[in-house]
Amino acid sequence: MKRVLLTLTALTLAAGMALASGGAERSAPREELRVMWWGSQTRHELTISLLELYAQKNPDLTVTHEFAGWADYWTKLTTMAAGRNLPSVMQHDYAFLTEWESRGLLQPMDQFVSSGVLNFSRVPRGNIDSGRVGGQLYGVNLGVNSEVMVLDVDMFQQAGIPIPADDWTWQDFERIAMQLHERLGVYGYGAGIMNEQIWKGLYISEGLDIFAADGSGLGYTNDTPHIEFIEMVLRLQEAGAIPHISREASDFAHGENAEQKPIITGEAAMDYMWSNQLTAMWTAAGGPNARNFTVVPPPRRRGGAASNYVKPSMFFSITRDAPNAEAAAAFISWVTNDIDANRILMAERGVPISDVVRADLEPLMDLPQQVVFDYMGRISSSASPTPPPDPAGYADLRSNVYNTVIRDGIRFGQYTPREAVALFRQEARNILGEAARN
Amino acid sequence: MSKTATLATVRARKNALSGYLFISPWLVGFLGLTLIPILGIFYLSLTSYDVFTPPRWIGMRNFTRMFFEDRRYWVSVRATLYFAFVAVPLRLFFALMVALALNTKHRMIDLYRAVYYTPSILGTSVAVAVMWREIFGFRGLINSLLAGVGVARPVAWLGEPSTAIWTLILLVLWQFGSPMLIFLAGLKQIPEELYESAHMDGAGGLRKFLWITLPLLSPVIFFNLIMQMIFGFTVFTEPFIITQGGPLDTTNFYALYLYRRAFESFQMGYGAAMALVLLLVVALSTAVVFKTSARWVFYEAKEGKG
Repeated sequence: MKRVLLTLTALTLAAGMALASGGAERSAPREELRVMWWGSQTRHELTISLLELYAQKNPDLTVTHEFAGWADYWTKLTTMAAGRNLPSVMQHDYAFLTEWESRGLLQPMDQFVSSGVLNFSRVPRGNIDSGRVGGQLYGVNLGVNSEVMVLDVDMFQQAGIPIPADDWTWQDFERIAMQLHERLGVYGYGAGIMNEQIWKGLYISEGLDIFAADGSGLGYTNDTPHIEFIEMVLRLQEAGAIPHISREASDFAHGENAEQKPIITGEAAMDYMWSNQLTAMWTAAGGPNARNFTVVPPPRRRGGAASNYVKPSMFFSITRDAPNAEAAAAFISWVTNDIDANRILMAERGVPISDVVRADLEPLMDLPQQVVFDYMGRISSSASPTPPPDPAGYADLRSNVYNTVIRDGIRFGQYTPREAVALFRQEARNILGEAARN
Repeated sequence: MSKTATLATVRARKNALSGYLFISPWLVGFLGLTLIPILGIFYLSLTSYDVFTPPRWIGMRNFTRMFFEDRRYWVSVRATLYFAFVAVPLRLFFALMVALALNTKHRMIDLYRAVYYTPSILGTSVAVAVMWREIFGFRGLINSLLAGVGVARPVAWLGEPSTAIWTLILLVLWQFGSPMLIFLAGLKQIPEELYESAHMDGAGGLRKFLWITLPLLSPVIFFNLIMQMIFGFTVFTEPFIITQGGPLDTTNFYALYLYRRAFESFQMGYGAAMALVLLLVVALSTAVVFKTSARWVFYEAKEGKG
């Protein structure tokens, strides 16, 4: 009986596999290039047009694509990695590049650089090196990027407050947010303010390492900057100058809904984001002519250095499962250098790395992008050095400790700032320490 | 099988074979989608597995971490129990009341039944959850209505730790359709004569309900209780879409937290350990309900005790 059962199961499975593999063989003759990315609606539309153009120029290639929002993207890709079914080209993030490389999921691209398939003759070296892991190239930078504070210029004028200088401090920020709130009845600042990027910025501003060199815990010992910042947030919340945490939790803590952001609905005068998100935000607010925004760097600690840094916004990487790595490399080279390609993309992924492309795009840019180009030029010398990627276990620390204890716990009154920061430090040691040992 | 080793063996085997062939679609599904994954969970729960690299054996570490070190775990357990023990009885009660109301003779009764069942067809769909989020959102329907009647300060229903879980409880109450339908079928099985004779003896509506309806309906209540309890312990879509587990983890129910650990933090081993505990707890609770059922479930055929 058992044998019958086993035979049957085996037969069914074998039949299934035969059918499946038969199907794959039939569609095999054409080369396939599968590209995958995360992003906003704007990015999806631009990238799909880009791929259509590439398919036109390469009729022997079947170009397919998949896209997702940030969180789903990594879930999908992890599943694909387990199923050995990764796309040929994937969009990658600075934070995860090392991790993916260490797991053997990516292919090095240096051979294609030396053979000329990947052409970097017009790209400054610094823009390439950020995609290296252990000296080898695993990601081609798609643009540079930095944190910005977005200001609603009309509201600032209405309140009679000058646009702050690039080296403004958190003290300036608190004063301005309070004034905006008192004079206009809006939120001075309307985004999630307790986010891990701002927390890191506090220590970058002090010139300190956020994480220990071996990744086993925090890299700084002085919690005062963090506590002072949290106390400021509590004062702002108390005064109503920023949204209460319950509003944040209900509407926009999860960042997916650009249209609901208070700066877009006209409920707030300031917001915080990455510079390459500005275009999408401005579009959601009604386009370049509808609103009057400008950007400045995020505030710094008094007497400190800049709290922001220039970061490769994202990479294209070739995965282990790419059937033809050379075709994938040719595509990435085209995206890097081709004028027509970049006239489609319009620097949506960040300021392009090729100086020819950059020069070509500059006059074509609409206002939001000009604002970003100008900003990136302005901060290129003042920004702090790019910190190393986050250590293993950081995702766990962020979602299970930072978000619950620091972001929500303090502002819902569950912990005092001091308790929360101490708990965070201890958990960082536990979680990062355990991850570092493995 | 070998004990029937007589001349009929060949025939019996043939019979068995065709039997297995007939149920093979189910068998393949059961093995592939239920049994093997469950066995896999036993193994994975003892490993650290991030999907990229092969699972690494770590013994009971996931369980010690879960029970003794993970603050969020117990918050999640408490939230789930709260939800299950509030939402499930309320939902059953509500379903029973509606079933009683619909168990009458009326010209339009079929239409009413269809209408009341509609929310459950939309059921656990994502669309309904998204709609719920809009209704209770800061700029949603409820706050607009409140503003209309002069309440000046809008409430962040989904963002307040005290109200968020209730929006979810309301949603599952609204979707009372499937237990309602089962109750309705049960009510139709109760012989009319019992009510008639009770009526002649002068029993009122409440007495009839307490002494005829409830006892005769108890097997159906029992079935619904078990199904709904399992639902309550494993609710996922609603908190995932509407509150995303927040605020302060008040709606970070067990299945949602499990998903987060497994698919957002990529701790598959930890997720498997959590799933295993959930499986045991659900099995145990079901067993408890079964054990106590002898005292309160009335089966006509057994000339019951209840």
